Amino acid sequence: MNNRLLINYTPGTTPIHRLNGATKVMGFIVVTVYIIMTFDARIMLPMFLLCTAGVISMRPNWKPILLIMGFMFIMAGVIGSMMIILIRPSSGLTHVGGETVIVRWTDHFFISRELLWYVGAMYFKRLCSLSTAILFILAITPSELAAGFNKIGMPYKICTVLSLAFRTIPDIARDYIDIKNSLMMRGVELDSRKVGLVARLKQTVFILSPLIMTSFGRIGTIANAMDLRGFSKLKRRSWYSEREPTRADWIARGIIVLVAIFVIYYIVFVRVLNPPPFSYWSPWGYW
Amino acid sequence: MKEQSLGRLFLGKWNTMTLVAVAVGAALFGTLMVFGSIPIFANTYLTSAMIIPVIVGGLFGAVPAFATMLIGNFVADLIGGWGFWFDWSVGNGVLGLFIGALPLYGARIDEGIFTVKHAIIYAVCCVVGNAVAFGLVTPVMTAIFYAADLEITFLQAFAGGIANTAVLVIIGIPLLFLFANRYKKRSNLKEEE
Repeated sequence: MNNRLLINYTPGTTPIHRLNGATKVMGFIVVTVYIIMTFDARIMLPMFLLCTAGVISMRPNWKPILLIMGFMFIMAGVIGSMMIILIRPSSGLTHVGGETVIVRWTDHFFISRELLWYVGAMYFKRLCSLSTAILFILAITPSELAAGFNKIGMPYKICTVLSLAFRTIPDIARDYIDIKNSLMMRGVELDSRKVGLVARLKQTVFILSPLIMTSFGRIGTIANAMDLRGFSKLKRRSWYSEREPTRADWIARGIIVLVAIFVIYYIVFVRVLNPPPFSYWSPWGYW
Repeated sequence: MKEQSLGRLFLGKWNTMTLVAVAVGAALFGTLMVFGSIPIFANTYLTSAMIIPVIVGGLFGAVPAFATMLIGNFVADLIGGWGFWFDWSVGNGVLGLFIGALPLYGARIDEGIFTVKHAIIYAVCCVVGNAVAFGLVTPVMTAIFYAADLEITFLQAFAGGIANTAVLVIIGIPLLFLFANRYKKRSNLKEEE
């Protein structure tokens, strides 16, 4: 189970991996706001290319990433788009601004150029947000994540919860495998291809109840151990993976600040003060 | 049983115990979400992870359940790597607030108190919570983030809400009875005449 996780527990060696946790968290927050704020493919494209280049530079294991991409394509790209085309073909008019019909079957079912653009642009926005997320997930380790969030001002108790959660996952995986093996030994069919949906739901209770019991049974022990070591007595704490920022960090932070200034400018002047008439930009000059 | 104010039951006691519970709950939620879910519709899964906030809520209060759901979603997004869907995460968090409200209407899992009456209120809470979370919060946020039509996001969220309610009621109620019984046996005290 552990080797199916996308996040790494050990830090990698490429330049992006070696950045400080705080830099990565800052960058991720700015890039996420960047992608959420805009519906303009011209503005999303550079960020998409940047993130893709970042992912490639980290030389990741491509198999799980391609799997996720494929899954996303089917779920959001094919099913999501089909729903829009079937239920609301007039979306092109309301969100892009025009209706140049390409094919018309009946009054209600038609495909316009703008509708296709709308569907494609929305999928592209989701793809951008996925690529930024993958970049962040591949770059960071759980303890860097906790230290980084603390560094940018999140209360350390929440950060500890986060790193403790990641610390617990391997334990849960081990317990889960133990429970599954013992159930199989008692003759419960766990192969998902051989049992129906209702039977699978019922089995979940068999697996869940011991899993929850053992996991929650540990809470008292962990909490006592933390209390005995003086957890939450002081206002701040230090982190194992906290490092002094290097020169690369300062360069990266400089770039992040520049992007952040652009984001604030864009939100204030383009989205709030002078909002475009239609949410999605298109090359046919509606805004 | 000590009388506690409603606000206290809602917020929970934020000591080390609760923090660890939220962490363990979030880890369980994340793992179950990634490895124990059955996709049924666009962005919609039949997942047993939904049960975890209920247990955290029953033991520690509604706001810890909310935190579990929110952090658990973040953990799931990080280990699963399918990107951050904040519209769904926040919707899930709101749902956690509703389904974790067990102590507010007197169900105390850690003291073995969970009756048929509580089960019915719990089921109503599940339906209302799903309606608010996926009928209001998630569609509106999806509309803001992706400029999607409310109709379509409603439809997607509706499927998610139905799946969640089914899991929460079909698996949740038997599990809650089981845990309440387990804790009742542990607190082996009888009232004297």
